[in-house]
Amino acid sequence: MDIIILVLLLAIALLMIKGVKRGVILSLWVLTLVLAVLLFRYHVTSALDLSF
Amino acid sequence: MSETTTATNQTGTGDKLSKGWSVAIYWGLHGWVLAYVGVLLGAFSMQFIKGEFPCPLCMLQRYGMILSTLGALWVILQARQNTLTPARYTQGLGMGVLGALTGLVFSTRQILLHILPGDPGYGEPVLGLHLYSWAAVTFIVVILFAAIAAMAAPKAFPTAPPAGSALRLISTIIIWIFVAILIANVIAIIFLEGFAFALPDDPDSYNLINQLTGR
Repeated sequence: MDIIILVLLLAIALLMIKGVKRGVILSLWVLTLVLAVLLFRYHVTSALDLSF
Repeated sequence: MSETTTATNQTGTGDKLSKGWSVAIYWGLHGWVLAYVGVLLGAFSMQFIKGEFPCPLCMLQRYGMILSTLGALWVILQARQNTLTPARYTQGLGMGVLGALTGLVFSTRQILLHILPGDPGYGEPVLGLHLYSWAAVTFIVVILFAAIAAMAAPKAFPTAPPAGSALRLISTIIIWIFVAILIANVIAIIFLEGFAFALPDDPDSYNLINQLTGR
């Protein structure tokens, strides 16, 4: 998953430089953000043993 | 028509633009990109010189930094192509803030994991703080910068230097340094993760090498 996220981030940067349509850039950016959050959820396996 | 007048029309606010502020915001965005290039290089030095492998949360914070920087890059590129509109400017700043907020959530999680007294933290501290604490500081700084840029928007609309100028070349170099760092991160993560779905909780070697050599 990390490889996919970083490849997407690189692709977004290159597509921005190439001047690809705004909708494509924003869609890929949001997709990458969602994948990063999902990966975070995957790694967070337990609640913190802290009292707030 | 002067550059300033053109930009005034682009903002559509009717406010008179300050050329100084417009240039300052443009180069402030480059500072944003450069700062994260520096942070990512620092993370690389910890990984390759000190031999500290990045944990999954460390990598997630890098993604937050890159997602945020892509917002700044978006505005810079639009300004260079003379296609920056108020809508695109706010979209870029929004991407920057959202990326930074996401990264801040990741770094806060890691700070809280090691917040109890006696916990040595993960990795070596740098200038008294662990990397995830520094990451949280950078995310807050980015959010503040984006907020100030948004508030100053009626008077400060990023203006790129003319094509062919030395400043334009500097801008181009900064953009490509960022891309080079992204490429380096892709190569590094391929070695770190190998054919696994995700990184182990406490990585201590390069997964790809282990998998290929059967270790």
